Amino acid sequence: MPALANQHPAVELWRFRHVLASLTARELRIRYKQSFLGVGWAICVPMSMMLVFTFVFTRAVKLEQGMQLDMPYALFAYAGLLPWTFFASGLNGCVNSLVANRNLVTKVYFPREVLPLSAIGSSFVDFCVATSVLVVLIFYFHVFGDWTFKPSAAILFLPVIVGVQTIMMGGLGMLLAMGNLFYRDVRQIFSVVIQLWMFATNVVYPLRTDDGWVGRLVSINPMTPIIDAYRSCLFDGRLPVGSPFLFATVFAVVVLVVGWTCFHRAGFLFAERI
Amino acid sequence: MGKGSLKLDGVSKRFRRGTGHDSLAELLSAGVGRLFGRSRRTSHDDDFWALHDVSFEGCAGEAIGLIGPNGAGKSTALKLIAGIMRPDGGMIESVGRVTALIEIGAGFHGDLTGRENIYMNASILGMRKPEVDRKLDAIIDFSGVSSFIDTPVKRYSSGMQARLGFSVAAHVEPDILIVDEVLSVGDVLFRERCIRRMRELVDQGVLLLFVTHHLEQMQSFCSRTVVLDGGRVIFDGNTAPAVARYIAALKHQEDDVDNEDRIARVGGLRFLSDSDESVLTARPEEPLSVEVLIHLTKPIRRLSVEFDIRREIGAHLLNFASVRDGVTYDLAAGESMVRMTLPALPIAGGQYFWRVLLRDDEEQKTVADTDYRFAFVIEDAGRPTGMMCIPHAWVLCDEKARDTNSTLCLVR
Repeated sequence: MPALANQHPAVELWRFRHVLASLTARELRIRYKQSFLGVGWAICVPMSMMLVFTFVFTRAVKLEQGMQLDMPYALFAYAGLLPWTFFASGLNGCVNSLVANRNLVTKVYFPREVLPLSAIGSSFVDFCVATSVLVVLIFYFHVFGDWTFKPSAAILFLPVIVGVQTIMMGGLGMLLAMGNLFYRDVRQIFSVVIQLWMFATNVVYPLRTDDGWVGRLVSINPMTPIIDAYRSCLFDGRLPVGSPFLFATVFAVVVLVVGWTCFHRAGFLFAERI
Repeated sequence: MGKGSLKLDGVSKRFRRGTGHDSLAELLSAGVGRLFGRSRRTSHDDDFWALHDVSFEGCAGEAIGLIGPNGAGKSTALKLIAGIMRPDGGMIESVGRVTALIEIGAGFHGDLTGRENIYMNASILGMRKPEVDRKLDAIIDFSGVSSFIDTPVKRYSSGMQARLGFSVAAHVEPDILIVDEVLSVGDVLFRERCIRRMRELVDQGVLLLFVTHHLEQMQSFCSRTVVLDGGRVIFDGNTAPAVARYIAALKHQEDDVDNEDRIARVGGLRFLSDSDESVLTARPEEPLSVEVLIHLTKPIRRLSVEFDIRREIGAHLLNFASVRDGVTYDLAAGESMVRMTLPALPIAGGQYFWRVLLRDDEEQKTVADTDYRFAFVIEDAGRPTGMMCIPHAWVLCDEKARDTNSTLCLVR
C-alpha cells in the first residue's frame, strides 16, 4: 500500500471508504453501547437545549421589539440547534479523533483523513436521527398551534445546505485534529471558541447584521448564512440565493482544500509526533 | 518487481531528541525569539539516527528475520515499511498489500464484542465486508475464543485478545506480512498454530518479515536474517551466523557495564576452534576450547574456575568446575588466562549461554560471577530436535544380515 501512497488523497480516501464506514459504525456503537437511552441521546441533546432556550426566551427574558418571530420560538430554536449540534459535536469529535486513536495512528497504515471524517460521519447519523423531532415539532405546531406550515419546493434544497455545512466541517475538522495532535492546547481553545461561536450565530435568536461591529462580526461568520438557509428553505419557501450563502459556500470549499492539503502534507509526521 | 517484493535502498530515519514544541506557548516563544534574531535552540546535534543507510531486499515467498539489540531500529524499520512513517533519506519500494502485525488488535475496542471487533479490525487491515463474511468462521475457529465471540472484548484475557487479533491479521491475505514480537503471547499450542499459519502464507508466496527475540523460533523459521545494530545493517545472510553476530552485538553492549572494585573480575570469554581461531559458532562434533581472561586485584592461592551452560529455553545443561577435577590455580594479582578444552560438545543446535564463576577455594567464597551473559551457538544443519547430538550411523540391512539375525524378534 505505501507504494500507492503517492496517489491523489481523494483517490486514496475512496479506496479506503469501507474503513471510513466501519470506523463511523464503531464510533456510534461505542457511544450508545451500555447506555440506557442508546441512540435516544442523539435526540436528547438538541431537544434539552431547545427546552432551556425556550424557557429563557419566552419566560425569563423577552426578545427585543423588531426581533419578534413570526413562528413558535421552540420551532425556531430547534431548527437552529439541530444543525448547530451537528456542527459542534462533529468538530468536537474531530479535535480528539487522532489523539484518541493513537494506537491506530502509530501501528496501522491507512489515510489518516478517515479518523476526523468518521467523527463527522457519526455526528451526521445523530443529526439524521434528531431530525425526526423537527418533523414532530412541525406537525405539532401546525395542528395544535396558531401557525401553519407552508411546505414548498425549496425543501428540496436542504441537502445542498447540509452538503455545504459538511464540507466546511471536513476542512475545519482536519485542521483541528491535526492542530490538537501537535499542540494539545487546541482542544481547550476549541471548547471555549465553540461556545462563543454559538452565540455569535443565529442559533437561538435572530441576529441583525446591520448593527455596528457586532453585526459585521456576525456577517463574516459563515455559520450564520447556513443556519439562515435552513430556516428560509424550510419555513419561508425561499431559496438562499443571496451573497451571504454564496460566501459561506466559497468559504467551505476553501477551508476544505486548505485543511485537507495541510493534513495530507503533515500526515507522515503524525505517527512520530502524536 | 512482482507482488510481495520489497526493497530498501539507503533508508535513513532521524528522530529529534527532546520533544520539539509540544505546547503553543513554546511555539510562540520560539517564534518570538526568532523574530528578534535569537537563534533557535534546536540544532542538528540533538538529532539521532534511528536508521542509517539501511538496505536490503526481499522477494515473494521469503521469510526474513530481523534481529538486533533493543534500540537497534527494528521497529522503526518496520514502521517505515508499513508506511506509517516516512524515511528521511533513501527509498522504500514495496509491491502488494502490506499487513503489519506490529501490534495485533490495534483498534480493538473493549466495549465491542469479539465479532464486531473482527469486522472493525479486518477493515482497518484492508479487508472488505464480503471477504470478512466469507472468512468469519475460519477466523473465529483459529482464535479459539468462539464461545466468547459475542462478549465485549474488555472481558477477554490479554491472551484471548491477542489471539483474536492474530487470527484476523493472519486471514488478511497480505502480500507482505510484518510480524513484530507478537508471538510472545498466547499459549504454546496457539504459538504453534501461528507459526504453521505463517509458514502456510510463506509457501503461498507471501514475503514475511519476522522480528523476535525468540532466537530458536527465528532459526527454525527464517532462512535469512538481517541483523541491525545502532541503526545499521551489520549482517545480512544465513540465520545461524546472523544469530551469532547478534549475540556478539549484545555482548559488546554488556561489556560496558562491569564492576571495577572487585577482587576478581572476568575480563572476557573466548571460544576457540580446533585451529585456535576465535569463533562464535561450532558444530556439535567439533572440538572446542574456551579461554577465560581473569583480572585479580589481589593474589589468590587456590582459584577455581567454573562454567555453567544453559540452553536458551530450558534448564541448566552442563557444569564444569576445575576444583572437582582437582585443579586450582595459584594466581598473582593482574591478568591471567585459563583455557578449558573439550573434544566435542555433543549438544543439539541452538543458543547456549555460559556463565563463569571464580571461586576462592581457601575462603570458600565466590569472588566473581558473570551470570549467563556469554552466548554461543551450536549450528545444526537440520532443525534442532531434542537436547543431545550423539554420533550415530544408519545402514540398510541386506539378506545375509537378516538371516544371521533370524532369531531376533522385531518388536511391533
